[in-house]
Amino acid sequence: MRYVYLAKDDLGKFIDLLKEKHRVVAPVKKENLFVFADISGGEDMSLEYIPTIIPPKKYIMPQKESLGKFDMGEVSMKDTSIEMEPTVIFGMHTCDIDGLECLDVVFHKDPADPYYKKRRKNVTIIGYECMFPCDEYATCVTMDTHVPKAGYDIMMTDAGDKYILHVNSKQGDAIIGSGNIFKEADQDAIKKELKDLREKKLPKFKRALNPGYKELQPLFEKSYNNTGVWDDVGRRCVSCGNCTAVCPTCYCFDVYDDVKLDMSGGERGRVWDSCQLNEFAEVAGGENFREERSSRQRHRYYRKFDYPVRKHDKFFCTGCGRCTRTCMAKISLIETVNDLAKGEQDV
Amino acid sequence: MSEDKKKVRIAFFDFADCEGCQLQLTYLNENFLGLLEHCEIVSFREAMSERSDEYDIAFVEGSITRKHDEERVRKIRENAKIVIAYGSCASLGGVNGLRRRFSDEEAKEIVYKGRDSHLEAGWPRPVHEVVKVDHFIHGCPSNNDETIKAVKSILLGKGYTPPDYPVCVECKLKENVCLFEKGQVCMGPVTRAGCGAWCPSWGNTCYSCRGLLDDPAEQGQTELLEKYGYTIDDITEKFDLYNRCRMDAEKEAEKK
Amino acid sequence: MCNCSENKKVITIDPLYSPVEGTIVKACQMTENEKFFEIRLEGGKELGHMPGQFVQFSLFGIGEAPISVSSSPTKEDKSTFEVVVRKVGTFTEQMHKLGEGDKIGVRGPFGRPFPVDDLKGNDLLFVAGGIGLVPLRSLINFVIDRRRDFGDVNILLGCKEPKDRLFTDEIAEWEKMADINYACTVDKAAPDWKGNVGVITTLIPGVDLDVNRTYAVVVGPPIMYKFVVAELLKKDLAEKHIVLSLERRMKCGLGKCGHCQINDNYVCQDGPTFTYDEIKGLEEAL
Repeated sequence: MRYVYLAKDDLGKFIDLLKEKHRVVAPVKKENLFVFADISGGEDMSLEYIPTIIPPKKYIMPQKESLGKFDMGEVSMKDTSIEMEPTVIFGMHTCDIDGLECLDVVFHKDPADPYYKKRRKNVTIIGYECMFPCDEYATCVTMDTHVPKAGYDIMMTDAGDKYILHVNSKQGDAIIGSGNIFKEADQDAIKKELKDLREKKLPKFKRALNPGYKELQPLFEKSYNNTGVWDDVGRRCVSCGNCTAVCPTCYCFDVYDDVKLDMSGGERGRVWDSCQLNEFAEVAGGENFREERSSRQRHRYYRKFDYPVRKHDKFFCTGCGRCTRTCMAKISLIETVNDLAKGEQDV
Repeated sequence: MSEDKKKVRIAFFDFADCEGCQLQLTYLNENFLGLLEHCEIVSFREAMSERSDEYDIAFVEGSITRKHDEERVRKIRENAKIVIAYGSCASLGGVNGLRRRFSDEEAKEIVYKGRDSHLEAGWPRPVHEVVKVDHFIHGCPSNNDETIKAVKSILLGKGYTPPDYPVCVECKLKENVCLFEKGQVCMGPVTRAGCGAWCPSWGNTCYSCRGLLDDPAEQGQTELLEKYGYTIDDITEKFDLYNRCRMDAEKEAEKK
Repeated sequence: MCNCSENKKVITIDPLYSPVEGTIVKACQMTENEKFFEIRLEGGKELGHMPGQFVQFSLFGIGEAPISVSSSPTKEDKSTFEVVVRKVGTFTEQMHKLGEGDKIGVRGPFGRPFPVDDLKGNDLLFVAGGIGLVPLRSLINFVIDRRRDFGDVNILLGCKEPKDRLFTDEIAEWEKMADINYACTVDKAAPDWKGNVGVITTLIPGVDLDVNRTYAVVVGPPIMYKFVVAELLKKDLAEKHIVLSLERRMKCGLGKCGHCQINDNYVCQDGPTFTYDEIKGLEEAL
């Protein structure tokens, strides 16, 4: 839509402006890592951050959420409403924006998930472009998520003493229109400036995966029976479920009933679940269709690099690197994919 | 709730343990009162003096060690409709299992030092090695949130099965910084969840007090601990602390 | 930190996960572990299912479970549908406690039905192992009610012991029908059993098939599929002409929760019925 400038000194004012009408969440330091959390002002956040422990999907698909309340002995839910305030997710990286686009595809697909849909509508995305690669675990270059493309209302890019703001939606435009801290400028000049910044930025971003974007899905198509790689990953895996909990595109859930102490009623809700856990694919009779850790890990990888490509024409790996960063057994997505590619060459 | 609805009678019993799990229950406060709408406590040494032998649910706390304890727990089993092994000493054998590293004589010498002529050194066992147990509530100490969840679930007629996934699952949902990330070692990956990652959420490592998962990734966890510089002895120590009785039982089963 | 709760608004959500009310109008124990239920939706509303689909039953405080519909949509009384529930876990145990007049929540129907249109005009071979008869009964009765739309019909049933047989009265009716061939076998005979003894695959070689115009519809436990499919392929039946129904763990029925996924298929939406050529080679399927 259009571009404006924001002076770096006015960042706090920008947050204050947003807070007039929204709950604002942003990256905040937690020990040696980062999390998305509520902020009361610009000074609370750490805009230069590596991907947060859990991605900001938690604001749209909370770890645990009520699907509805019930009275004991009844059969229909009596209240399926949710409470939410309009929320700005501030400072989202492009990889996480891509993650939300993946979840949008799944949850908006017929039959659309009404909880996700309503929360999503209530969220404004203000992105923050990475000018440096975060660490050695990210694969955003291969996944092509290191440059802003779409999926945000406003994108901020660091341009020295100011930010360039790309206003990309009506929602974003309304926010910019409500403040007087934004500087209008010649659109072509800003575009040129942005182009120069990106030209300087791109050489700093190196490819970590050997196969290229186009080679990835064909590689997985041939790698299902690469038992050497899958068995090695399975042997090291402790099935802790960390890799799926931190993944911006994982969305599996379990449904629970929580009954009140007086047993008069309760709520039915859902909670994040993980295909890495032993019970996940077990049926009531006891049969487990992914009993081995190796087959569960393989399932995870295929849910990123193969199945969604067939189904939705989209990779469900954003290259954020969280699964590798969080794995205490040091199972690395980069190593796994490169090992698969190596096996392919050897054949 | 109708007044005439018969309340479920609950009794608490303790064996070889510190009674810390029963003590936890006294922290329940108003939640305890909520539960009392549906049940009645008939024996609870930690909080009341009256006692009764008529009960539906028996919470058995502590490991079974001496002959006399065996007889007592058998009697409880006969009286109760449902027996719950409450807390890790009862559900796993718990830290009492460490006693199994020594012979009876050694144990007596270490603990009672010459004043042992009239004292017994029993063989510590989890309750289910002596009588049938219907439900398990693990933990050292047990976690009140889980205890309430279990009691509600049992009252609803669906029994209670503790999760068969690791503590990490609950820890990560809370967005804790992983202890491995901070260079500490944690038994979370192989330990049964249900405590809400109680210790890691307060910066402490997991000691596996709730016991190992049904199918723990022992090899993965061992390789992992080795990677962080631990020797096999250190690792055994970590697995042993709460799981000695189970590991003995598994060795026995393998022999057969 | 932040306290902007004055902005908090209550958002109404379509009750997609909220069950509708079903009333049990008939319940009877069929075997030690299997119980039959006939259910009427609120206001006698038609379930609107096709053979092969399933519903999610719900009991608040207990949870939900996917159960195959066993009655045919062609059934005379459209205001009810039938299921058979095997006691295998917490939910089904609780459901077994219910009887006539009790209420139960219902969501659905869900899933892809048997490919009825493809079956039309062709000969049919039904193979049911144990409780697999439950979903297959929906299709068998559908075919019987529209008998002229289909060619020859063969029904093969297998179960562990004679006492495990379901719908014996109804099967006796099928047996009497001149235009249906029927055979049954048990793995282990009882003293008064006069029929076949042996696994279900032993019945297949004896069936006379025109492979060019036969569809086999097979429902049973996972282990049965491997052997039955092998036997059917031996008869030169095309992979596309073998239809199966798979059982998986399900939480949502809406293609989201991930539990029922087999490779890139969501069983609750893409299945539970599949043709063999769709799932052959998928390690997680059979």
